[in-house]
Amino acid sequence: MRIPIRMIGIATTFFWIFLIAFFVSAVYSVKDVHFDFGEPQMDVTSDNKVVFSLPVSITNRGFYNIGSFNISTEISDKEGFTITRGSTFIPVINKNDVVTITHNMTIDINDLLQRDKNYLFNDTELKIYEAVSMRIADVIPVQASTNFSMPWGAPLYNFTLGKVEYTAHNLTYFKVVVPISFENRAFFDLVGNIQIQMYNSTDIIVGEGQTNIEAHHNSPYHGYLELYVSMVGMAESGHFEVYFLTPLFNYGPLVIPYG
Amino acid sequence: MADANNDFKKRVRNFTFKALKATVKGILFYGIYFVLWMSLAPISEMVPGFQQMIETFVMVYIFLIIVGELTSGTIFQYFFNVARALFVIGYLIFSLKGGIFGLTFQNVSLMVDLRLFLAIAMLLSLLGLAKPVFQAINYMSEKEEYTPI
Repeated sequence: MRIPIRMIGIATTFFWIFLIAFFVSAVYSVKDVHFDFGEPQMDVTSDNKVVFSLPVSITNRGFYNIGSFNISTEISDKEGFTITRGSTFIPVINKNDVVTITHNMTIDINDLLQRDKNYLFNDTELKIYEAVSMRIADVIPVQASTNFSMPWGAPLYNFTLGKVEYTAHNLTYFKVVVPISFENRAFFDLVGNIQIQMYNSTDIIVGEGQTNIEAHHNSPYHGYLELYVSMVGMAESGHFEVYFLTPLFNYGPLVIPYG
Repeated sequence: MADANNDFKKRVRNFTFKALKATVKGILFYGIYFVLWMSLAPISEMVPGFQQMIETFVMVYIFLIIVGELTSGTIFQYFFNVARALFVIGYLIFSLKGGIFGLTFQNVSLMVDLRLFLAIAMLLSLLGLAKPVFQAINYMSEKEEYTPI
């Protein structure tokens, strides 16, 4: 019986040494894995969606391959509604290899506005959940995750129509000048068109006009829009219906009373 | 008188040899820990209490090695070896928290899934537990064989 017992001892010792050596070397080699996050970039796709791109470079100088490398990002609003999520997966990062990937996330501003129009006019905060997971030496799953907030700047912050000016255009029409002002606090430039329809107090359309706008991000916009309104239907009070048409989103009507 | 003197000397020599063997084993085990610690040291900066956790394990394990060696040649050696194997199993389960090891460091949550490592370690520990049990059985059976009728 002594020989089998000795064999059990030898086998156990051998496997313990192998297991500990493997585990320690796998943990030790993590310090030779480097992640470099580049400058995030923003682009607009052909179908008018905003794409965030984050270049990531992974340098694996460890003893083992890294398996199932995954970066995932989830952006949600204050109530926890998921606005978008993106995931980038690399099956294997071989040892002594450098892999560069671009982690993309797409945001459809129109979808966002369907959820809440306040994103157009009010600043808010978005919650971001970021997780990086991998299998060290292809067998030890590791995941690092973090939560942080990102400010959302409204593209039409403090949108207001100023005091309307009326001047006689001819015997039958008034020329109405409507001042427009807002501040583009969004991370993107706002280029598009604003259409305004003027209604009198009996909800009959009396005139309409449009103007092109170009507001760079983090800058105020001041402009005006001209309407030609029939003197017959003109009233002292009523409301404007404002429509926004841009490559990134379409929104309207925004009802603003006058008079 | 001379036989008794020789017997005493033999016992002292035996005990000295056991103590020496226990010391060598303890030092050897501590040396292995010392070498491995150099590569695990960066973890202790991130995981609070990691060094204390490992040191407690090493301390108890070395103690059980020394006691096991000092009681070698008796049935108690196998008791201590069983205790050592059970200690390893219990310690692995409690310290690795079932294999999912998590910590939070400056708003970053880190999760390490060591279930596979734990499962293999458990199997090896059970094998390590079987060894002193077999040794105890063997010891008792050999003792019975050599007992004069």
